[in-house]
Amino acid sequence: MAKSSSKFVYIVALTLFLGGLGYLIFSGLSEDSVYFMNVSEALAEDRGQVGQARLFGKVSPQNLEIVDGKLGASFDLIDKLEHDKSLRVQYKGALPDTFKEDVEVIVEGTFTPDGEVFVARTLVTKCPSKYEEQSKQMEQNKG
Amino acid sequence: MHLTGYVGLLFSLLAFLFLACWAGFSAWSKKENVLIFIERGQMVAAGGVLFSSFVLLVGLTTRDYSFQYVYENVDNALSFVYTLTALWGGREGSLLFWELIIAISGMIFVVTPGYKSLSTETKLFFWMFFLTIQGFFLLLLTGWSNPFIEIIPAPRDGRGLNPLLRNPGMIFHPPLLFLGFALYSIPAAAALASSIAGEEKSWITITRNWNILSWVFLTGGIVLGGWWSYMELGWGGYWAWDPVENASLIPWFAGTAVLHTSIIEARRNALQRTNVFLMSLTFLLCIFSTYLTRSGVIDSLHSFGKSPVAQPLFWSMILMLVITLMVTFLSKRTVHRTLSDFLSRQGMLVIAAWFLLALGLVVSMGTLWPVISQIWTNKPLGLDANFYNRVCLPFMSFLVLIFCYCPWLGWKGGVRNMKGLLIVTGVLVVSFVGLYLSGMTNVLAALTAAASVAAIVGIVLLFVFYPAMRSMRQSWGAYGIHLGLVLMALGIAFSGPYKVEEEFVLAKGESAMVDTYRITFTDLVQDGNVGDIKVRATATLEVHEGDKLIGIMVPDKRIYQNFERQQFAEVSTVPGLGDEIYSTLLGLTDDNKASFKVSVNPLINWIWIGGTLMCVVAFLLLRRMPKPGEDR
Repeated sequence: MAKSSSKFVYIVALTLFLGGLGYLIFSGLSEDSVYFMNVSEALAEDRGQVGQARLFGKVSPQNLEIVDGKLGASFDLIDKLEHDKSLRVQYKGALPDTFKEDVEVIVEGTFTPDGEVFVARTLVTKCPSKYEEQSKQMEQNKG
Repeated sequence: MHLTGYVGLLFSLLAFLFLACWAGFSAWSKKENVLIFIERGQMVAAGGVLFSSFVLLVGLTTRDYSFQYVYENVDNALSFVYTLTALWGGREGSLLFWELIIAISGMIFVVTPGYKSLSTETKLFFWMFFLTIQGFFLLLLTGWSNPFIEIIPAPRDGRGLNPLLRNPGMIFHPPLLFLGFALYSIPAAAALASSIAGEEKSWITITRNWNILSWVFLTGGIVLGGWWSYMELGWGGYWAWDPVENASLIPWFAGTAVLHTSIIEARRNALQRTNVFLMSLTFLLCIFSTYLTRSGVIDSLHSFGKSPVAQPLFWSMILMLVITLMVTFLSKRTVHRTLSDFLSRQGMLVIAAWFLLALGLVVSMGTLWPVISQIWTNKPLGLDANFYNRVCLPFMSFLVLIFCYCPWLGWKGGVRNMKGLLIVTGVLVVSFVGLYLSGMTNVLAALTAAASVAAIVGIVLLFVFYPAMRSMRQSWGAYGIHLGLVLMALGIAFSGPYKVEEEFVLAKGESAMVDTYRITFTDLVQDGNVGDIKVRATATLEVHEGDKLIGIMVPDKRIYQNFERQQFAEVSTVPGLGDEIYSTLLGLTDDNKASFKVSVNPLINWIWIGGTLMCVVAFLLLRRMPKPGEDR
């Protein structure tokens, strides 16, 4: 039988441990949460009031602006399902290899105060996986 | 061929389910004379899985595009190696590979002395669980995820493999993960069976090697995935806390926790129920990992896509959780033992397990937060990398600290070597102050780095103070793994917060500074038609530190045949055990300027060295299993 003081120490330690874990999780949740939205969901919001957000969508072939010799791009991000809904995105960093028209991207950042443009801090294209469905365009390329 | 392969799987499915029911019924009704038939039956049924896998392999190597699976994963230009690896490269093939490993594991386990030493009742319950797991996978393979679908007429060429995946890291990363996941089925089924049957022999001892091997493969898979991401994707990082990355890490935390708590059961016979629960939970989390990557429940950077196996996987997890909880709480414990003092090696193992399980919980919760948050809001909230870093990094630092002190405590309490304890404490304090004063002002990073240094010194001291350890394979294995871990921690503590990254556009002859290094763009060569590369632009970057040339980098940008609308970058590095310089060619302009991303990553290679060490030395922990009638 273990000493009761030993059991008490375990209980105190577990309480402290859970307290620390709870504090870290709570502070993380309150400070590091971002809205996950599709374009159509973002359009339904008061975008000027949305803080940090992560948007999911596809790069529209129209109005895609990439300046040679400069980093970054401006483009319309269209909803994955409702293709007539779009948002303007500005991004100033290095573009990933797989960035191109019609590719699925995830952008994280904030809207301008008027809600018209999404200023992306990060831009990532969906990483290819061995398990992905291949795109129809690749099929067409190969004839 | 297609039908033959499918029939092989169908035969195995029916046989496994029949044998599982038979084993379960026989165990409940105490009919023990059927075991030999069940053991032989599972061998024959496993043969069906082997046969079907062989059929698919033949389809791949002969590039028989009448197999939809071959068409989707291979093309005429793909090299032979990647054609072979397509066996586990696609969605259906990867599930078949999972099942193939489980089937082979069962064939091996049945002839081991450990299995033979179990009581007949435990064996029957083992087969009930183990064969049901196999039946479930075959249900997926014959229903929702069939690798033997035929295309008529057969196409002349396949779709091929994305060039980003043509990397040695990607040859080994997926199968290592699947090996880890699949091998956990043996200890999990043995734990549940032993618990129900009240087995006298310790399942912890009997499945020890399986548990270690599962952990080694899972660890290797995760580390290789990070290395591939760093070397192939060109973003300069190795871990993004993406749901798909997290998916493999969650079972790793549980599996690592059970490795620690099982030591307590092996030495003190305590924590019996905890270990049964954790072992089963680890395998359940492997299924959860597959669910996360295939269900589309969370939007990930990885385009795994939604798969029809999501629902069956979800319900199988619920069922397995119910069974695990029932077995854990309803089964009888053979011995009641309580834990020793908190400040003992045993106590520290428990604390380490708490930290590991908490990390698993945090990562699971963070990954599922967009789903969980929908309970109270219609705007799903997700968590970015800052959340994981904020919560996980302090816990990981504490784990390294625990390891600094654990070896110096007695097994049941007290300090076993005060001299060692004081030296390690001294090293910790001096390292921390030294690192802080030399500019490492991120307290958590400095503490982790100092704890890593103290832990390394501690390991050396242990082998100095206790000469007997030098001749013990187990000691080299256990402390080697922890040495690998602290080297990784050291690499993460430096390369994470102290990475310097710049993006710039240069004309030939121009230079830019990154940290203390001068990067000069000296040449650009364009060529093409090299293997399956259609066009390639290769830049030459000279790296100087002061006036000294320390290396040349040749990042390139290429377009592959069959992927003409997409450019791929190959990164180039000046490798080093201190700073590693890393470059990516981002693009070219019409006036022959080029844009680059260059970063200086301090101590990053220690992550790969530490990870490799962890996996390799773990083999030293494997040991001969006790023969029937022989106790350890």
